[in-house]
Amino acid sequence: MNTTDSRDPPARADHSPGQLALGIAAVLLAAGLAYGAANIPSDAGYAGVGPDFLPWVVSAAMGLCGVLLIWEVRTGGFRNMPEPSGAARGDWHAMVWVSAGILGNAALITTIGFILSCAMCFTLAVRGLRISEGKPAGNAMQTVKDAVIGMLISAPTFWLFTKFLAVNLPGLTGTGWL
Amino acid sequence: MLETWNNLLGGFVTAGTPINLLWALAGCALGTAIGVLPGLGPAVTVAMLLPITGQVEATASMIFFAGIYYGAMYGGSTTSILLNTPGETGTMVTALEGFKMAKSGRAGAALATSAIGSFVAGSIATVLVTLFAPILAEFAVKLGPPEYFCLMLLAFTTVSAVLGQSTLRGITALFFGLALGLVGMDQITGQVRYTGGVIEFLDGVEVVLVAVGLFAVTEALYNALYEGRSEASLNKMNKAHMTGTEWKRSWPAWLRGTFIGFPFGTIPAGGSEIPTFLSYATERKLADPEFKKEFGTTGAIEGVAGPEAANNAAVTATLVPLLTLGIPTSVTAAILLSALQNYGINAGPQLFETSSALVWALIASLYIGNVMLLVLNLPMVGLWVKLLKIPKAPLYAGILIFATVGVYGMRQSSFDLFIMFGLALVGVVLRRFDFPTAPVIVGLILGPLAEAQFRNAMSIGEGSVAVFFQRPMSATLLAIVVLVLVTPRLLAWHRRS
Repeated sequence: MNTTDSRDPPARADHSPGQLALGIAAVLLAAGLAYGAANIPSDAGYAGVGPDFLPWVVSAAMGLCGVLLIWEVRTGGFRNMPEPSGAARGDWHAMVWVSAGILGNAALITTIGFILSCAMCFTLAVRGLRISEGKPAGNAMQTVKDAVIGMLISAPTFWLFTKFLAVNLPGLTGTGWL
Repeated sequence: MLETWNNLLGGFVTAGTPINLLWALAGCALGTAIGVLPGLGPAVTVAMLLPITGQVEATASMIFFAGIYYGAMYGGSTTSILLNTPGETGTMVTALEGFKMAKSGRAGAALATSAIGSFVAGSIATVLVTLFAPILAEFAVKLGPPEYFCLMLLAFTTVSAVLGQSTLRGITALFFGLALGLVGMDQITGQVRYTGGVIEFLDGVEVVLVAVGLFAVTEALYNALYEGRSEASLNKMNKAHMTGTEWKRSWPAWLRGTFIGFPFGTIPAGGSEIPTFLSYATERKLADPEFKKEFGTTGAIEGVAGPEAANNAAVTATLVPLLTLGIPTSVTAAILLSALQNYGINAGPQLFETSSALVWALIASLYIGNVMLLVLNLPMVGLWVKLLKIPKAPLYAGILIFATVGVYGMRQSSFDLFIMFGLALVGVVLRRFDFPTAPVIVGLILGPLAEAQFRNAMSIGEGSVAVFFQRPMSATLLAIVVLVLVTPRLLAWHRRS
C-alpha cells in the first residue's frame, strides 16, 4: 500500500528532533497555562475550589506530560511508535498551495463571498494536491477548469445551506444567489 | 414494560412522519457516502452540519445525525473490503479478512455478510437500547455530582490511557483538549479565562472548529504533505450475494459479535476498537478446522461477519450512556452531545422525562434507519462503489469547501477559519507523531461538564475531597478508574518478570 522501498532493511528516519520539539512545546504550553491561571481569581465559595482550579491542574499535568515526553526522547524516543503513514519527507511545495487556498479563503470570504472564495480555495488546493501526487500542476486551461469545478461545488452548496437550512453564509451581492 | 412499548409506538409515530422519514433517509444516504469516501468520518460530518441546528427542529436533526452515524458504519465496511483503507478504527478488523476475501474474488459475499450482519446487530442492539435505556435512566436519576464526575473521569481514562499505542501520548492529547475547553467563560462563576482579550474566544472554542480542523482539514494537509504518492488498489466488485454455506457460517458470528459489541458500547471504554478485535479473535478460535486456514490467507467470512456485527452493536450501544448519562463514549457521540447542547437540551437521566418525544423518536428512527441502510447497502452497493473512483485531489479540495460551511456557518466569523487552519497544522503534527485525536475532542466537550460536576460535588462535600470516597457509588467508580490504569501495567510487569 505504501510506497516505501521494501528491499532495504527499514531505514527509520530520525524523528527525535521533532519529538523533542513536541515535548518542549508541551512544557511551554503548560507554562502559558500557568501564567494564565495565575491571573484568574481563586474565589472559591463553598466548593473550596474556584475557577482557577482546573487551569492549575491542566497546567501541571501538561507540564508533567511534557517532561515525560522529553524524558522518553532522551532515553530512546517515543515508546511504541509506529512508522508514520506516507512518505518520509514532507512535500512542502504542495502544502504551500493547499495552505494558500485555506488562508486565502479565510481572508477573502467576507469580501468576495462564499462562492467565489471557496472556488478559489478549491482551485489552489487541488493544484497543490495534484503536485503532491507527482502530476503536472496544469496550465492556464486546467486552472480555469478547476475554478469551474470549484464553482460547481460551492454554488449549489451555498444555495442549499442558505436557502433550505438557513445557515448564514456571506454573499458577494445581496441577491442571495452569488 | 407496557410504558416502554407505548413510548416506542409514540416514537414511531413521530419518526414516521414523511418529513422525519426524509431526514432519516438523507442521513443514511449521506452517512453511507461519507463512510465510503476516504477522508471524512461520521464525527466530522456531523460537526460540519451542526450549524443547521439553528434552523432545523431538534427531533429532525437528531434523526438526521443518527442516520449519518449509522450509515457511515455501513459505508465504511464497503471501503475497507474493497480498498483496504479503513476510515474508522472500528472497521479496521473488517479490512483484515474482508480485503483478502475480495482479493480472492469473494467481494460480493464479504459485502453481503457485512451489510446483513450490521443490520442484524444494529436491530438487536436497538431492541436492547429500547429495553435497558429507560431502566438505566431511572437508576441514573439517583446519581449526584460526585458520581457523575467519577463517571467522566472513567471516560477520560479509558479514551486516553487504554486505547492507542501510548498512555503518555493519549493523556497529553486529553489535556490538550481540556486546555482548549478552558477557554471562555467559566460555567459556574462566569469568570473569563484564557481569552487573551479576544472577543471571539468568550464563548469558548467551538467543537465544530476543533473537529473540522483536526479531522477534515488535517486530512487534506496531511495528504498533500505526505500521502500524495501512496496508491491504493481497488478490488473488483461482484454481486452482493451469499451461498447457503456462507449464510450458515455467518449467522452465529453475527450473534456472537452483537453480544460482544453491545456491552462495550455501553461502558465508557472508547468505542468499537476493543470489541471488534475481541470478536475477530473469538471467530478465529471457534472456526471449523476446514475454514480456519482461510483466516489470513483467502479470507474467512466469519472474520468479516463477527467484527462487523460487533462494530454496529457497539456503535448503537454508545447511545445508552449518551442518552441516559450524558456521557459520550465515542467522538461522534461527543459531537451528538454538543448538538443537543445547541438546542439547550441537557443529555442525562432527565432526558427521558423532559424530552421523551425526542428520545423515543430517535430510538424508533434507529429501527427505521437500519432497514433503510440494508436496502441502500445491499441492492444499491454498486452505486456507492462508484464514489471510490473520485480522484483524491478534487475530493480533498472539495472537503475544504464543506469544512468552510461548517466552521463559518457556526457563528459567521472568518476569524474561525484562521483558527481552523492553525488547528489543522496541530493535527498534522499529532498524526505524524502518533498522538490520538479522540481524547482531544472528548476532553474539549466533556472537560467543562466534568469541571462543573467536580465543583458542585465539592460544594456538597463543603470543600472536602472526601465526598468522592464516602459515597459508595463514586468510591467504586474511582476504584475502577485505578484498576483501568494499573491492571495493564501489572500484567505487562508480570509477563516480563
